[in-house]
Amino acid sequence: MNLRGTLPTLILEALEQEPKHGYRIAQRIKERSQGVLDFKEGTLYPALHKLENDGMVESYEEMENGRQRRYYRISKSGRAVLAKDRAEWRSVSRAVTLILERG
Amino acid sequence: MSMSGLLEAWLKRATRHLSEGSRAQVRTEIEAHYESACEEALGGGASAGEADRAAVASLGDPGAANRAYRKVLLTDMEAALLRETRCGVWSGSKRWLWLLPTLVLIAGIRFLATGDAYFGWTLLTGASGLALLASAFRLPVYTPVRGRIFRAFRLLWLAAILALTMRGSWFMLISCAWPLLWVEWTLFSLRRKLPVAEWPKQLYL
Repeated sequence: MNLRGTLPTLILEALEQEPKHGYRIAQRIKERSQGVLDFKEGTLYPALHKLENDGMVESYEEMENGRQRRYYRISKSGRAVLAKDRAEWRSVSRAVTLILERG
Repeated sequence: MSMSGLLEAWLKRATRHLSEGSRAQVRTEIEAHYESACEEALGGGASAGEADRAAVASLGDPGAANRAYRKVLLTDMEAALLRETRCGVWSGSKRWLWLLPTLVLIAGIRFLATGDAYFGWTLLTGASGLALLASAFRLPVYTPVRGRIFRAFRLLWLAAILALTMRGSWFMLISCAWPLLWVEWTLFSLRRKLPVAEWPKQLYL
């Protein structure tokens, strides 16, 4: 399924509970959508950099299994944007469901 | 093609025209991602070759990744421009920078005094903008909001000077405007890509 425009919101959701590195973020999105939302992982990092430039996520480096990994955590403004996106999505989703399931 | 060759080819295309620092950053994060993907595939019973191919395939089209990276990371051209602005003529306070606006101001007053209002006002407009640029490094412009106000004044001046000097000739106006627009676009792009904390003074102006 095409993720155009929704990937930043899904990344913020993936980081809501705890910081993760890029690979874990990609896995989390795929698992939570039960494989429906599949995307090319090469586009995940540009989206992460954009979120970082916009101040919605912060990054830091940490060792994992002897390998240096960049971890991302959601910032305060990122949480606010996620809450707003969630509310908007619920509203749009409810409206589309009303239209499509009318008959 | 060897196993790492697939990843190398992907990285080469995905990092085309990115700055050296950006290329290193992409390489580090994609290699770590690739290793995690390979480990998981190998844990699931795939052969080394299958794991390699699956890990690279999951990254998708390197051309699309390159387009996405160029929107958020510094390109080699932008990095060069940033170096130039950091070490260029505007980076220090130099009294001689005031010489040009002073000379233009004197010439403008002289033209007005001799009755040539068009040349007089054009030169006075030019002198005011040049004075603005010459004083830029002494002005307390070090927050994004003040930067926006300063740039609005600078753009107004540029529009006025272009309109005055190129009056009636669209060809001349476009010829002179596009290099300015190109520089403005590049600076805008740099402002989007760099965190405010890393902005050199030039990016506020």
